[in-house]
Amino acid sequence: MPRKLMTIGIALVFACTSLVLVVSCAKKQVQVEERVQPTTEQAKVTETVQQEKEAVETKETKQVDTAKEEAYRRAEAERQARLRELERQQRLAFQIREFEAENIYFDFDKSDLKPEAQVVLKKKAEWLRNNPAYKLRIEGHCDERGTNEYNLALGERRAHSARNFLIALGISGDRIATISYGEERPVDPGHNEAAWAKNRRDEFKLIKK
Amino acid sequence: MKTGRSANTATAARSVQGSYTSGVVIAVLGLILLLIASPATAKIYIDINAPSLPKLKIAIPDFKNLSDKGEHPELSARLSQVVAGDLDLSGYFLPLDKESYLEGAESPLTLEEIRFKNWSVLGAELLLRGAYTCVGSRLEVEIRLFDVIWGRQIMGKRVLGEVAGYRRVMHRVGNEIIRKLTGHEGIFLTRLAFVGTMTGHKEIYTCDYDGRNLKRVTWDRSIALLPRWSPDGKRLLYNSYRDGGPMLFMRDMVSGKVRRLSGRKGLNIGAAWLPDGKRLALTLSRRGNPDIFLIDLNGKILDRLTKHWAIDVSPTFSPDGKKMAFVSSRSGSPQIYVRNLSDGREERLTFEGGYNTSPAWSSRNRIAFVSMDGGRFEIYAMDPDGTGLRKLTDGTGNNEDPCWSPDGRYIVFSSNREGSYHLYLMNANGQNQRKIVSLKGDQTAPSWVR
Repeated sequence: MPRKLMTIGIALVFACTSLVLVVSCAKKQVQVEERVQPTTEQAKVTETVQQEKEAVETKETKQVDTAKEEAYRRAEAERQARLRELERQQRLAFQIREFEAENIYFDFDKSDLKPEAQVVLKKKAEWLRNNPAYKLRIEGHCDERGTNEYNLALGERRAHSARNFLIALGISGDRIATISYGEERPVDPGHNEAAWAKNRRDEFKLIKK
Repeated sequence: MKTGRSANTATAARSVQGSYTSGVVIAVLGLILLLIASPATAKIYIDINAPSLPKLKIAIPDFKNLSDKGEHPELSARLSQVVAGDLDLSGYFLPLDKESYLEGAESPLTLEEIRFKNWSVLGAELLLRGAYTCVGSRLEVEIRLFDVIWGRQIMGKRVLGEVAGYRRVMHRVGNEIIRKLTGHEGIFLTRLAFVGTMTGHKEIYTCDYDGRNLKRVTWDRSIALLPRWSPDGKRLLYNSYRDGGPMLFMRDMVSGKVRRLSGRKGLNIGAAWLPDGKRLALTLSRRGNPDIFLIDLNGKILDRLTKHWAIDVSPTFSPDGKKMAFVSSRSGSPQIYVRNLSDGREERLTFEGGYNTSPAWSSRNRIAFVSMDGGRFEIYAMDPDGTGLRKLTDGTGNNEDPCWSPDGRYIVFSSNREGSYHLYLMNANGQNQRKIVSLKGDQTAPSWVR
């Protein structure tokens, strides 16, 4: 006897739960029904509830049909816009990563731009033209040879070379800041020409205005 | 006797003058023992301006402990160690190996009792005997320096200090010995500042001239560079990126307060004190091009010292403050130039080698610098007119950042001859190269103060 009472109790709890879920969300309702299925009593109760619910819905649907369609269209449009925005942001993040990953390199004790550096800078100028919301910070670096002081000055020259080139390509100087790190921030800690060649560089950091 | 001594000093002075004007002898470190015979005392002079350098062999047994209850027995060996280290680093002495001594700490202290044979047999020319007394935290050290060959006492000295500061006490003793034998001030109480990377960041540290007594000065966790002591040792300039870019800071070494002296756009780097300690020169690039400016201790620009489209960095001043040497790339590669501050005349000093930097002007009017030589960096010195060129380092690793001792007789520099950069000491002529600072990471950019 107590056991039967308990079963009914459980059934009632499930029924109530189902009702709440049916009202709130159609998709969840299916899941709940699947879980409820094991006991036939529960299924019967749910069925009854389901029928009542459908009756109510039909009535409501007739009344607010057009308004609902409108809201749905709006939501869908919003969703699409959000997707497009997300895609755009992903594309932008990718572009920024690509932009910042591409350094330009210099010869020992030189700050003039090599032809391949100019190609890279032209690309960067185009991107900056298309993305006026971004400012640029150019960091000039040197290899470890020579004094800190001379290399700080040389690193600044290297940053200025790139800045002047971008300005010549029509990018406003207000958007381009420079800093020299001299020999203080090598990318390759080695003490050979391969490492030095990698360290004689300008790095480019984008900053959203 | 007094007359004889001053006459000899005058002769020595004239010979120095002569060697300068003739330009034959450079930086001059050597050692000539001059004994002036006298019935009462013997006077020894070390002519540290002589070109060659036979080192004086000196025996320094452990010091005798005269404390009432025998306090601090450990000082017996330590005191002799400190002064032996000092005399060794000076380059004028060769302290003999303690293992070979026939007598130890308990050997006699007075002229009458000392058995000079026991020391001359080892080849010792000088004998330093010392005793000490500890009363509480106070330390009293008494030393006597003997001429072993002539069996005479050269000097006696008593120095007071703290037990905890026993190194300092012994550095004073060492300075007294140098003063007595050379007539010049010793360097044993001088201090260094340098850049160390042991924390993973470049920070400024200070230490005694022998690398001991290390202290950390900056905690910027940024990039700290190029420390420069003021001539009086009370202030320290350095560059740091702590506020974003390379800016100039000044730390009061007494109060510990740090002030930003120049935070202009672009570079604010490589400051050099003028000898008056009231003005300094540094490279600014606020208008885009790096030039050397003169500023006061409030950071106000007083004058512009170079004006050229090229890179102008690394100013250093003559002892009289009338000339400035600096590095410029105006010829296409970094070379050393000198500028006459009164009429603005500039002259190129270095023509050999495509890469000459780091000029450092000594109080004895020599300019040390670094030249790239077969892909490596070596230290050279020359007279302020570019003559008298001499190579001071040779052969192993890179040798950079030359910095003169305040008396202009020594150079401390950084070298990676053993892999990482550490600090080394050498005499002004390049002899006696010894490692003095060897910590984790790199140690570079030394600055030296009295």
